[in-house]
Amino acid sequence: MEALSCGERRLGSEEEYAAPAVGVSLCDSAPLVWRMQDLRAVRAEGLVGALLGSLPRTPRQNGRLGRPLLLLPEEEGLLRERRAAAALPDRCQQDWGGAELRQKHEEEEKRSFEEQSVLALEDRKLALLRAMTGAESGATSADEALRRRLQALDQNFTFPQSAMAVQLSTARAGLSYCPEARAFLQAYGPPGAEPRCDARYQVFRDLRGRGFYLTSAGKFGGDFLVYPGDPLRFHAHFIAVCVSLDESVCLLDVLAVARLGSNVKKTVLLCSPGPDARVCYTSLQWSGMI
Amino acid sequence: MGFSANGKQCLLPEEALYLMECGNLQVFHQDLPLSIQDGYEKFLSANTVSLQQYQVFGHLKRLGYVVLRFDPSSESSSYARQLNLPQSRDRAGRQLKRKRSLSPAPSSTPTATCSRAEAQEECSTEKMEEDKCSEGEEDIKLPEPPEAQSSADEGGGRSWWMMDVLGDSDKDSGHGSKSGSSCWDFSSISFPDLGSTSREHFPSDLAPPDPSLLPGDLKVGFCDIAPWRQKINLRQVKMSANEQKREKYRRRWDVNKNREVRRCRNWAEYQELMARRKGKREGRPAHLWNREVTPLHDPTQPIATGELLEKISVIKPTHLLEGASRLKDADDWRICFNVYQPNTVADFKKSNPGKPYSRMCVCSFDDPVPDLRAIKLLAYQSGDIPVVIAVVDYGDISFYTFKDFQLPTDVYP
Repeated sequence: MEALSCGERRLGSEEEYAAPAVGVSLCDSAPLVWRMQDLRAVRAEGLVGALLGSLPRTPRQNGRLGRPLLLLPEEEGLLRERRAAAALPDRCQQDWGGAELRQKHEEEEKRSFEEQSVLALEDRKLALLRAMTGAESGATSADEALRRRLQALDQNFTFPQSAMAVQLSTARAGLSYCPEARAFLQAYGPPGAEPRCDARYQVFRDLRGRGFYLTSAGKFGGDFLVYPGDPLRFHAHFIAVCVSLDESVCLLDVLAVARLGSNVKKTVLLCSPGPDARVCYTSLQWSGMI
Repeated sequence: MGFSANGKQCLLPEEALYLMECGNLQVFHQDLPLSIQDGYEKFLSANTVSLQQYQVFGHLKRLGYVVLRFDPSSESSSYARQLNLPQSRDRAGRQLKRKRSLSPAPSSTPTATCSRAEAQEECSTEKMEEDKCSEGEEDIKLPEPPEAQSSADEGGGRSWWMMDVLGDSDKDSGHGSKSGSSCWDFSSISFPDLGSTSREHFPSDLAPPDPSLLPGDLKVGFCDIAPWRQKINLRQVKMSANEQKREKYRRRWDVNKNREVRRCRNWAEYQELMARRKGKREGRPAHLWNREVTPLHDPTQPIATGELLEKISVIKPTHLLEGASRLKDADDWRICFNVYQPNTVADFKKSNPGKPYSRMCVCSFDDPVPDLRAIKLLAYQSGDIPVVIAVVDYGDISFYTFKDFQLPTDVYP
C-alpha cells in the first residue's frame, strides 16, 4: 500500500468545495478502481463493487480478494452523474521512459535498501545476542566476547542487493509523477451527460437513494442483490429483477424466480421504473397454504 | 508455467500477471518495474486475454489447478482418434485401448448347413409328424404327405358319419335310412324328446309310429319308456346364476338371427363372413393385411420386447456428437483453457501434460445461453473431455457444464 499524498482534486467548476474525485481507469473496457483512497471514497458513497485481484498478504486463496475494484456499469453511471468520477489516463506515455521517473525509482530503491540493511544488521545482532547469552553462563567473559563479536559484525556486515525485499505497488505509482494527469481527471464522459435511462439504472438509483446497498445477482437469477446495510455485515434481503412496465412477463418465469427466491430465503422484488421517475415495486413471497 | 522460445524462458501475459499478483515476479519495462495496475492495463485486452478470462484463470490457479491455453490444432481430430493413432503426448502411462470391431457377417457357404441343422433340430422336437423331417431333405415328397393326411381325415370323417347314421337305429325314434327320399314332412312326424325334464309330456309308454314310416314289415308295439329314461341321466345340472343366464341365451341363440348372416345372399358371402370373423379372432384381419400398408408387426409372430420397442419407436435417441463434424466453426464460442489437476493428483509434465481434467470456455451472464449448435461445436473440438462454461458475473464465477444423457429403456430381455 503506498501512501500517496495527493491532495484533493477539484473539478474545474465554480463550486468552492467538491468531493474528491474517484480515479477510474479502464482495463479492457471495464471500469477499475485502484487507489486506496478511491476505494474508500467509493464505499463512502454506498457503492460496493467487486474486488478482483489477489490479496497481497494471502495471494493463493479465493475467499477474500484484493484490489482492483470492478464497478458495475450502474455504479459507474451514478458516479458520473454525481460528477464524482474522473478518468485516469491509461499511461503517462510522455513520462514513462522519462528520466524523471527512473531517477525517482532509483532514489526509492536506494532509500529502501539502506533502510533494509540497517534493519538486517539489527536482526543479526539480536540473533547473535540470543545465541551468545543462551550458550554461556559466565557474565564477564561473555560480555567481552560478545562485544568483540558485535564489533566484527558492524565492520564486516554487508547486506547483499539480491536479498533486498522489493515492493510491488498495486496502483500505478507514477500517478503522482504525472502532472498532466490532473488535466485528464476532469473529463470523464461528456460534460452534462444525461444519466442512463434504462430500467436497470433507474432501479439502481432509486434503491441506492433509499439507502440500500446493491451488488450484482447473476447467480441468483436476478439483476441486483439488495442489502439493508453494508454487505459485509448483512445478508441480502431481496433479489431485484428489473422489468419494464409495458413488457409482458411469462408466468413460468415469475414462478421460476419465486421458487428460486424462496429456496435461498430472499424476497423477490419485481422493479419497474414508472413514467415520472418513480419506481414501482412488487414483492413475491412464498406464503404457504392460504 | 511458461514456455521456451529462441532459447529464452518466456511467460504468457496471464501467467506473468498472476505471478506478479502473488508477489513472485517483477516485470521491467524500460528499466522500471510495472505495477499491478500497469500489468492489468498492458497485458489484458480483448485481443489477447480478456479481463473475464484472466479472472477465471486467476480463480483456478489460486485453487491449485494447472491452467494452460487451449490450442485447437494440437488436439487430434476424431478421425485420428478413431484410427487409434498413438498420440505422441499421451503415450506414457496410458494403455492404448483396443477398439472392439464388429465380427464379420457369416459367409454364404455355412448358411446352407446351418439351415439344415436347424431343420433337423426342429425334427427332433416334432416327433408326431414325421413328414416334416422328410420335407427338409427332399422337396419332392412335400406335396404328398399332407394330401395323404387330409384324404385320410376326410375319408375317416365320412365313414364316421355314415356309421353314426346307421347306429342311430338303436334309439326308438325312427330314423329312416332311406337315402335320397325327401318326401317326408318332418313337421308332422313326432320326434319325442326322452331327455326332456318336464314329465307331463310323457305317457308311460310311447305309441308306435306310423307304419308308413317304417321299413318293410317291421311291426312295432307300444314301448315302455320308463327303463329307457332310467338309463338317461335326467339329473338337473346345477348351474350358477351366470351359467343359467348363459344357458338361456344359448338356447335362444340362432345363427340365422345374426344381422350380418342375414345380409349374406349366398354361400360365398357367408364363407367370406366366416373367414373375416376368423381373421379377426386370430388377430390377422384380412382388411388390414391385404393392402399396401400393412401393420408394423403380426401379433401372431413372437417378438422380444426390446425389438418391439425399437420397431415402434418414432424418436431415435441421438448423442451429442452426432453431426458435429459437419458444423462450421463459430466465432463466438471458443475454448480458452485446458485445466489439469494439481500435481498431487495426476502427473503433469510440461513435455507430457496428459489428459486435461476439463476445458474452460469463458462468458458472462449478459451473453446468451449457448444453443445446441454451440454446444456440439465445443464438444467436437474438445473430444472426450467435458467442456465447462465459466460464467463471470462482475467478480463471481459460476461453472456450468452440459452432460450427454441417454433415457433408460425399461426392457427386460
